[in-house]
Amino acid sequence: MNKLLKYGFYILFLTTLLPAQTNKPTLVVYAYDSFTASWGPAPKVKKAFEKVCGCNLEFVSTSSAIGALRKIQLEGANTKADILLGLDKSSANIAKKTGLFMQHHIDTSKLDLPISWNDKEFLPYDYGYFAFVYDSDKTKKVPNSFEELIAMPKDFKIIIQDPRSSTPGLGLMLWIKKIYEEKASEYWKKLSPYILTITKGWSEAYGLFLKGEADMVLSYTTSPAYHIIAENKTNYKTADFKEGHYGQIEVSAILKSSQHKKLAKEFLEFTISEAFANIIPTTNWSYPVMKTKNGLPKGFYSLHVPSKMLLIDDETIQKHRKEYLNEWLNSIKK
Amino acid sequence: MIKNIWRFRLSILPGSVISLAILFLAFGIFYILFLNSNHDASSSAFITNRIIGLIKFTIFQAFLSTILAMLIGTVLAWSLAHQSTFRGRDFLVALLSSSLVLPTLIVVFGIISVLGQNGWINRVLLYLFDYSFGSFVYGLSGILIAHVYLNASFVARSLLHVFESIPKERYKLAKSLNFSVFNRFWLIEFPAIKLSLKSISSTVFLLCFTSFAIVLTLGGSPSYNTLEVAIYEAVKLDFNIPLALKLALIQLLITMVLVFLSANFQAAATNIKTSGTKIPWNEPKKLQYFQVFIIFFSTILFILPLISIFIDGLGADFKRIISDEIFIKSLFTSLAIATVSSILSVLFALLISDARRNFNINHRIKKSKFRNLINLVISFSGNIYLAIPSLILGLGFFMFSLNSQIPLLFWAMLAVLCANVLMSLPFAISILYSPMLKIAQRYDKLAFALNLRGSKRWLYCEWPYMKSSISYVFALSFCLSLGDLGVIALFGSNEITTLPWYLYQLMGSYQTKDGAGVALILLVLTLSIFIFLPKVFKNARHR
Repeated sequence: MNKLLKYGFYILFLTTLLPAQTNKPTLVVYAYDSFTASWGPAPKVKKAFEKVCGCNLEFVSTSSAIGALRKIQLEGANTKADILLGLDKSSANIAKKTGLFMQHHIDTSKLDLPISWNDKEFLPYDYGYFAFVYDSDKTKKVPNSFEELIAMPKDFKIIIQDPRSSTPGLGLMLWIKKIYEEKASEYWKKLSPYILTITKGWSEAYGLFLKGEADMVLSYTTSPAYHIIAENKTNYKTADFKEGHYGQIEVSAILKSSQHKKLAKEFLEFTISEAFANIIPTTNWSYPVMKTKNGLPKGFYSLHVPSKMLLIDDETIQKHRKEYLNEWLNSIKK
Repeated sequence: MIKNIWRFRLSILPGSVISLAILFLAFGIFYILFLNSNHDASSSAFITNRIIGLIKFTIFQAFLSTILAMLIGTVLAWSLAHQSTFRGRDFLVALLSSSLVLPTLIVVFGIISVLGQNGWINRVLLYLFDYSFGSFVYGLSGILIAHVYLNASFVARSLLHVFESIPKERYKLAKSLNFSVFNRFWLIEFPAIKLSLKSISSTVFLLCFTSFAIVLTLGGSPSYNTLEVAIYEAVKLDFNIPLALKLALIQLLITMVLVFLSANFQAAATNIKTSGTKIPWNEPKKLQYFQVFIIFFSTILFILPLISIFIDGLGADFKRIISDEIFIKSLFTSLAIATVSSILSVLFALLISDARRNFNINHRIKKSKFRNLINLVISFSGNIYLAIPSLILGLGFFMFSLNSQIPLLFWAMLAVLCANVLMSLPFAISILYSPMLKIAQRYDKLAFALNLRGSKRWLYCEWPYMKSSISYVFALSFCLSLGDLGVIALFGSNEITTLPWYLYQLMGSYQTKDGAGVALILLVLTLSIFIFLPKVFKNARHR
């Protein structure tokens, strides 16, 4: 037994030595867990980036991007993180306010985004649109605007996520705010009979929808691409809302405290490169920020692309986030 | 009294040390969070009307859930105790325990498969009678259904033990006195289960009070949120640690009050499972029908969601799951954590119960206010997991790791083990304490007279009566840690990945089918442990 313990400690000790022996610098990226999962973008990104950088790329996963930010804040000056990846543009201002991130000085003119980009600290690496997904085999009549949604028959049900704990949930709240402005509260009151349940995260909501619990679920316009490409199913579609769709742009930034700033900048540049753009669509199920020679995977061309990406500017969100949330809470309460 | 404490020092000391260590840990967590929260006035750390509303609703739903779960659980345990010979009973009893320990989200999905808008029951009704109950499973009713589903089975499982240990001679006496069913229950069974009813119901209340995933998924609206949700919001969204601390303290206070109310200062009538005397007669026909109906009906209700988990899981691509390196890694991590933490849980629960019983038995230490206080402190330490939100626990350990030179991996391991052990302790103690108390009451004098002490006393006196409870606690805490998402998930760690964490990741990236496959693997693991562990223990006779 003692011997076993001793060998155990040896092995533990050796594993701590291994990375140190390679002498290459290690770049640490904090990201949310579906990015770092074995089927997510991280393993392919690691492989592709390590080929060109002469470094080790290490992903540290947290339950959400905001969780990663809180982790960095708690770790303070001792944080291992060089890069924070995965925040949504709508909540990037929370991170900006901490003053922990530096300017990236990267040319963003070549980005292929529906909006122009001028954020000096955060760099986008993929984007998508929020949308309601439905099963066309089951649901025949689908609303094509928010107005039509609240005119549906009473047994038409949707599942949404809580804006306090989920990015799509926050997206819908801002989406409705953008369209209805001061009448948003009124709209939520009218919408609430159609809401089957409000879940904590995207997973629960989408899982319930796949079980056939509701007619529509709040997700992304790119969600059907997964069903087309990975499952060969074409019955999942998104409802096209003529008011336009709220956008989600995922961003990353370099920490001021990073010891490898040059390498970190290289990584950020890599996230807007063609190699990265080829990985994103079928691993993160969203649009890359660069046009590539190969184009998008086939399934993506049958997706509905919104005519207009709606966004509220970051400053306004930052200023009024609490107020919007309270308004939402008060109008949704039964 | 001091003399008596000294006399029983060997029994008091280990358990008290563990109790104190747990309390010290709890204090340390609050303290380090307090030190690290910035105290600028701008952080609005006040309790709003909304939070008061949340507290009210939390207490309200926990109260209702507890009453319902206790009622159903007791009736089921009573029926099972009187119908002791039907086929598949062992399997049913094992099934009863499994719902509590599976990851909550899986159970919620199972319930929805059966009772949901598009669930089996609604679909059958729609097909046969063109009628549907609609979406009754969302909202307050959904919260109650899920809480009753999870907890009634635990209540039934634990009370069944107590019912079964009522000496059969008393039933014979009842029969010869021609007791009515009601009198038999009121005069014989109720006094026997009273002690356990109290401790189990307070555990159930706390479980419902701190419920998180159920309330969020089935509640359906922010008006049905709990205090835990407010804490989550304060930590994650607003990064307002002072507020989170305040909320956690409120939860701590409520837990303390509950522990105070449910603590047993006076031991009740003594029963431990004794001879294998069989009752040669059957229950009256009408009663039999009623009991069989209860068992049949609850079996269906309890089993259907599990069957749906099973069926959903069959559609998964098991080849792909098993060939995923991370799956194998998380499977082994989960098994290792579960093994270590279940051994520790059983050990700690035994030691704590052993220490606590000294303060509950008059012939060991005389009744006094001081005795009651120690009794309270010990029983509070066993319930600490329910008193401290797991988010706060995880946060606390994370702060420890930041303030020390020891690598994060060590703290992560420690946090996971601690959380798992602390999570099992309330169950373990509520199951182990009452038989240990009863054994001491019944056999102390004999044991002292024979000078039976230490391991000998344990082997000849306690083990024969305790082994079935111990095997149950062992299985329960093993599976609880197997199904636990882990406190570290909140702040992330690459070193420790558990099976439930893997499952949530699959579900978070469209791979619902493979997620269902992993849920099936977890279900099978859990069930086999509940079925086989008691058998192993049954055969383990001392030489």
